[in-house]
Amino acid sequence: MKRIICLTTLLLLASIAGFADIARPDKTPGRITKPQKSIETSMIIRLEKDAKEAKLIIPKSQVRQLRAALDDLDQENDSTTAAVGGFSRTQTIVSGMFLSLAFVFGGIWFVRSGKSATKTGKTFVILAVIAGISSAATFIYANAGPPAEARSITGKMFSQSVHIYKFGTGAVRLETKDDDSRGIEFIVPDPADKPKSDE
Amino acid sequence: MMQEIRISRFELTSAHVFLAVFVGACAVAAIVIGSFPLAASIATIFLFAGIHNLMEFRYFAARMPLRWGRSRLFYTVGIGGVIVLAAAYLTLYFASGNWPWSLDSWATLTAAWNTVFVLWLGLLFYLRGKQRPKSDWAWAFPVAFLLAALAWIVPQYWSLSLVYIHPFVAMWFLERQIRRTKPEWLRAYHYCLASIPVFVAALWLSLSGRPNLSEETNLFWRITQHAGSEILPGISSHFLVATHVFLESIHYFVWILLIPLIDFRAIPWKLDKIPLFARKGGIPKLVVAVLAASIFLVAALWTGFAVDYTTTRDVYFALAIAHVLAEFPFLIKML
Repeated sequence: MKRIICLTTLLLLASIAGFADIARPDKTPGRITKPQKSIETSMIIRLEKDAKEAKLIIPKSQVRQLRAALDDLDQENDSTTAAVGGFSRTQTIVSGMFLSLAFVFGGIWFVRSGKSATKTGKTFVILAVIAGISSAATFIYANAGPPAEARSITGKMFSQSVHIYKFGTGAVRLETKDDDSRGIEFIVPDPADKPKSDE
Repeated sequence: MMQEIRISRFELTSAHVFLAVFVGACAVAAIVIGSFPLAASIATIFLFAGIHNLMEFRYFAARMPLRWGRSRLFYTVGIGGVIVLAAAYLTLYFASGNWPWSLDSWATLTAAWNTVFVLWLGLLFYLRGKQRPKSDWAWAFPVAFLLAALAWIVPQYWSLSLVYIHPFVAMWFLERQIRRTKPEWLRAYHYCLASIPVFVAALWLSLSGRPNLSEETNLFWRITQHAGSEILPGISSHFLVATHVFLESIHYFVWILLIPLIDFRAIPWKLDKIPLFARKGGIPKLVVAVLAASIFLVAALWTGFAVDYTTTRDVYFALAIAHVLAEFPFLIKML
């Protein structure tokens, strides 16, 4: 007992010496000041009967501003964004591994403890199976995509029937232009042979 | 035919007084802290942080047996874990701005630290369960793995949850201690615990709509960050800081006043209640030296706060991880 306490004290003293030279933490607000990562501009959305594909046309002057903002962000630290909002591969692998271990060890404990043979245990197993099937059902809903109108950028996106999805996706071509008098332009194909949107 | 009529009278007991004082003190604290959260944060840490650590250390000293006996493995894992985890935490904390590692690897190392921490807790629960007759605490491992997974899935919320859960550990200690030395207060104490969510709800109702607190100074910014204003941007920092300070104040109140009140062994000057000091084969000189050093550290902390509050606060909260970790082996041993 005495030896362990003496050893512990020695370790603590040694660790203090080890940390003595380390500079104090610097977490001032200035250290994490976020560079401006947005610019203010205007955008025109135009439905064009002759357009074959959706096009987002950005004035070159604004692209330059965006590039400057991007450079600032890069200098700050690329990984900041990943750490705050992203989910890294390491996180996925390790959290998945621990979740699997939790289920495996939990299951072994549940069976070994004999609780699975009790009435409560059986109820729990039934509820777990139902929960498992229910969660599997989400895959079906996950694979059921929105209608074609919401999966392509056309004039139909502005119809009431697509509004309920609150989003729309589709291919878009990004272009730049020299003239910046009209700001950003978003050209949306609106074929004449198709029925007009009910806006 | 005679009928016996019994009249039950209300009798004021010490448990009623305890309940009234606890709830009254919480009400006053909630009003004062809710009105001046930043000032309350600065004042409570200045006044009570060091002393509560001293009282906590004194309590643990009284609970440490002279001979570990069949608890040798438990205490070895417990104390060894405290030393290793505290050293690793301090390395991470102080090296994050100095060593050439990226924020990404820092986040990974933090998650790894959290993982080791919960696995250590799981092991302690398991070992404690083995000491108890007819107990199988092997459930501790799946729970620890689940918590470890959460530490990787939502690291920022996980770390913040520790900040808010830590005050409740003191309340749990008090509950275990009341069971042992003042069981007549147990029901009253459970009512006290039940009142805490009511006070937090009252703070929410009155402060959630308030604008965020000022972050104009470095100190204010650190206080709001500590309470989670960056992790929970949708919640008013006024509410977050007030809630954190409110819970921390109860935590201090428990360690400094309530535990010595119900456990005479925790009264600081009663050294004869410490087995390591009083019993044959003990280490009285070392106990006195460590207690004297602790008193000196409390005085040094006050001096530090008076000279440079912000820096001392940072250093204190970094070093305070050791007391957070040390609570767990003793708490689990009391289960």
